[in-house]
Amino acid sequence: MILRRASLRYLSRHPWVVGLSVLGVALGVAVVVAIDLANESARRAFSLSVQTLTGQATHQVVGGPQGLSEVTYRRLRIDAQVRTSAPVIEGHARSPDFVGHTFTLLGIDPFAEAGFRPHVSRDRNTPGLTRLLSEPATGLITRSTANRLGLKAGDTLRLRIGTIHHSLVIVGLIAPADSVTQQGLASVIVTDIATAQELLGMQGRLSRIDLIIADGDAELTRRIQRMLPKDATIIGSGRRSQALNQMTRGFRVNLTALSLLALLVGMFLIYNIMTFSVVQRRELVGTLRALGVTRPQIFRQVIAEALLIGGIGTVCGIALGIALGDGLVERVVRTINDLYFVVSVSELTITPLSLLKGAAVGIGATLLAALAPAWEATGAPVSTVLQRSAVEIRVTRRAPRVALVGLVLVVLGIGLLAMPSHSLVLGFSALFVLVAGFVLVIPIVTVWLMRGLKPIMGTLFGLLGRLATRSVAATLSRTSVAIAALAVAISATVGVGIMIDSFRQSFLDWLSASLRADIYVAAPVAQTGPSAATLDKRFIEQVSVLPQVAAISSGRRVRLDGPKGVQQLLVSQVDREQFQLYQLKHGNTDEAWQAFENDDAVLVSEPYAYRHAVALGDTISLRTGQGERRFTIAGIYYDYGSDEGRVSISRNTYNRYWNDRKITFIRIYAQPGVNVDALIEKLRNVAGEHDLFIRSNQALREASIQVFDRTFAITNILRLLATIVAFVGVLSALTALQLERARELAVLRANGLTPRQVWQLVTVETGLMGFCSGLLALPLGIGMALALTLVINRRSFGWSLETSIDPAVLIYGLSLAVVAALLAGLYPAFKMSRTSPALALRGE
Amino acid sequence: MNTSLVQARGLTKIYREGEQQRVVFRDLDAEIGRNEFIALLGRSGSGKSTLLNIISGIDLATAGEVHVDGASLGSLSETARTLFRRQHIGFVFQFFNLIPTLTVEENLLLPLELNGRLDAAARTFAQDLLEEVGLADRVASFPDRLSGGEQQRVAIARALVHKPSLVLADEPTGNLDTDTGREVLALLARMHRASGTTLIMATHSRDAVNLADRVLTFDNGRLCSSFNRHTDPR
Repeated sequence: MILRRASLRYLSRHPWVVGLSVLGVALGVAVVVAIDLANESARRAFSLSVQTLTGQATHQVVGGPQGLSEVTYRRLRIDAQVRTSAPVIEGHARSPDFVGHTFTLLGIDPFAEAGFRPHVSRDRNTPGLTRLLSEPATGLITRSTANRLGLKAGDTLRLRIGTIHHSLVIVGLIAPADSVTQQGLASVIVTDIATAQELLGMQGRLSRIDLIIADGDAELTRRIQRMLPKDATIIGSGRRSQALNQMTRGFRVNLTALSLLALLVGMFLIYNIMTFSVVQRRELVGTLRALGVTRPQIFRQVIAEALLIGGIGTVCGIALGIALGDGLVERVVRTINDLYFVVSVSELTITPLSLLKGAAVGIGATLLAALAPAWEATGAPVSTVLQRSAVEIRVTRRAPRVALVGLVLVVLGIGLLAMPSHSLVLGFSALFVLVAGFVLVIPIVTVWLMRGLKPIMGTLFGLLGRLATRSVAATLSRTSVAIAALAVAISATVGVGIMIDSFRQSFLDWLSASLRADIYVAAPVAQTGPSAATLDKRFIEQVSVLPQVAAISSGRRVRLDGPKGVQQLLVSQVDREQFQLYQLKHGNTDEAWQAFENDDAVLVSEPYAYRHAVALGDTISLRTGQGERRFTIAGIYYDYGSDEGRVSISRNTYNRYWNDRKITFIRIYAQPGVNVDALIEKLRNVAGEHDLFIRSNQALREASIQVFDRTFAITNILRLLATIVAFVGVLSALTALQLERARELAVLRANGLTPRQVWQLVTVETGLMGFCSGLLALPLGIGMALALTLVINRRSFGWSLETSIDPAVLIYGLSLAVVAALLAGLYPAFKMSRTSPALALRGE
Repeated sequence: MNTSLVQARGLTKIYREGEQQRVVFRDLDAEIGRNEFIALLGRSGSGKSTLLNIISGIDLATAGEVHVDGASLGSLSETARTLFRRQHIGFVFQFFNLIPTLTVEENLLLPLELNGRLDAAARTFAQDLLEEVGLADRVASFPDRLSGGEQQRVAIARALVHKPSLVLADEPTGNLDTDTGREVLALLARMHRASGTTLIMATHSRDAVNLADRVLTFDNGRLCSSFNRHTDPR
């Protein structure tokens, strides 16, 4: 009890150092919690949405690019007597009144809904259900959604679906029985099936048929499969959710790993503060040991102090993380919407698991970081604990051995990265091993650097320069930790910076080669359903005969659901010259073109080949209108537009196997000398009431770059946070260091060093440490960048990137390190220069 | 009945400094009886503190053995030596070494708590000790509010509070002025006699030599014993 009191009083007498340490842990934990909450909110919102829309269905019948015919449902329900079946139409809509909000349109038959989605079934007395059935263009939303959007029953909601504007009357408000359903229905508009068909232009067709097959009755499943048309199949209802969840895994793991990096830097802080507290109290530890305090008692005391700091930091970090998560969730959701699928998150979901994870990493990191100092405090015999220089001598003596262990870890990390594996976790673990190894090399390199810099610093700053280099090397136990913390944070900035630059360059090169047309026209809403928004046939005909238009090529985006997952199909109608837009990574362009146009061949994107482990000449199976068919891979092309992977098929081949002539987008090649802006205006006139995305080459390029930059906005925020944590780390390390050197500086003051010279000495020292950190961060940053671009990125997204190192990134990293260290040194320098020599000589 | 508390046989201590060896003492024998006050003399670096460290179990001899109160310290584990020290030995240091974040009273109670004997009787005894050293009115003060002499008086009380059989004092007056040093020495001697513990004091002080029952002098790595002419009962 008395020991604990002594410990608490020690902490309370060093509020600055403890406060900075708490802040470091809090920031580290906050970043991890914020990312986890944002990820989890998006995942949960999507999962709830799928779960609510799927209801109790165990299986689903899905069709081809145009969905299913209503006839299939009739045959299933009446002829085959599968009574537990319900037709569903699903699509997306946006409202000009609620910008940025995407609604899911769910068309159902309330009579068939009872077992599936009870909240909208006929059995339940949902207000407005009768009007939903009897009146066209009517819909239901939940009461909470209505409140959120300021709507009430009887209001008209303006919607843009595909290219057309519609109006829908809200005839009733659903009051779900539980909060889960309420969250799942947050952005859903329920309509009668006929209304949905009309709004989505799917007359006579269905998105899918939901089924409840008790105990997975295999016989019934086979019977249903047999009676389905060739382009339809039966799949487990959880399959779609799993596939989409898998799709965003790489994105989520990357964010988590980056957030862990901030925590890693935070760990240096804890290590530093605990080492400082142990070193500063070495006489005290010696006294306690002489009085009979055992090693385990000392160990427990140091760990308890660390846990207290870690605990307070973790609690603050969780609170901060929730606030930060609230800001990040929007960015995460926006990126998911940009890159993957439509998901709407109305609020941050705070799950106990996320908070527990935050607490576990905070406390765990604290414990891990405190182990070495605690061991240091207890491991040495009492007589040497009492010696002031013991720790520094030990650290300096061990530096070569520690560096050797570090080199082994670096080699191990490189080896693990080079291992042929698809595991992202292994990739990041290897990266962390590499970083840990490098950190262990830092103390010896710091000593060498100081030796090398001593004459230069002496020439530049005289005695102060020599004193500064000697001091950095002489207090290695603390300076090396501060240098390492800053080096890791700066290397992350450099590494991620090079990775983003490399990515951006590859993306821009690809964009230049892919965007060859002058104008691009597409339906505005990207849809997840098979019936992707399409362009009006007459519009395309009118455009193609315009005198300003030299040529057009077209494309159709199709999503094929199947038992093995989802496949994105890009149907492409291009001529030989336009075929150049495919930059082949593997395959000969002439041969690929011949096969693409004339044979049962496809091109697959690089991410597709990586994810499905297929190579040039292999065959893949696609569910066509005539059943499963195999297609030969004639080429593998670069595609930085999608990381889920795409299969590209020629219009001719597609038409042979699918009964779908629709077009999602067109590329327009203008006649030479035509004013593109004028032509866009002309196209808008031709489009009339159709609301289309009509963009020039330049506008589309800019929009694509905007999406790219938006994607990395979170990454940049995380980089910044990691740097802030490192800054706090350096500040705390320097404060601790200077406080501990009070006596030494006081002796120098007593011997004639002016306050200004003390200021200069401390500033030169911190500048040196910053320079060291920056210098060391460069090789680590480049190594990190290589690991990120060549391994992590490939395993996450399947892309191969050219690493391009911009010297500006390296100069920025070095400058950032020096500036951060100098800024962090301001307070300690100010404090020490103001300290009276007499006071400092008296000690604490 | 064996009346000796400390027995040292053939004690050798050698420090390794890189490739070189530094012999502090070799084949040293000593026997210290119960209730004795021993003044340990010798030049700086002669091995006085090292001998105290070995007797307390803080350090181990390179060769030879030392028994304290019947326990062979060399054969005990580090933890067992710590527990032995906690129970049987009190320390007084040159630089006082009070815990800066504990009050005077808490510093005094620390050994009792470590020994699991922090009961009402022990608290009363601690209070009595504080009165005896003249600091009963400073119980709530922190060490940095006390003068050097006061701090050392607290340290003496702390060394005796758990009633150890042996008190080791390493130059307890080395950091005090002459008058304060004399007061502290007198207090230490008085309390040694009152408590009946054995006191071994490494010192340069002539006053301490005058108060001690016996003087052990380090001379070229050997220990010479001589009885104090003032206190020798023979």
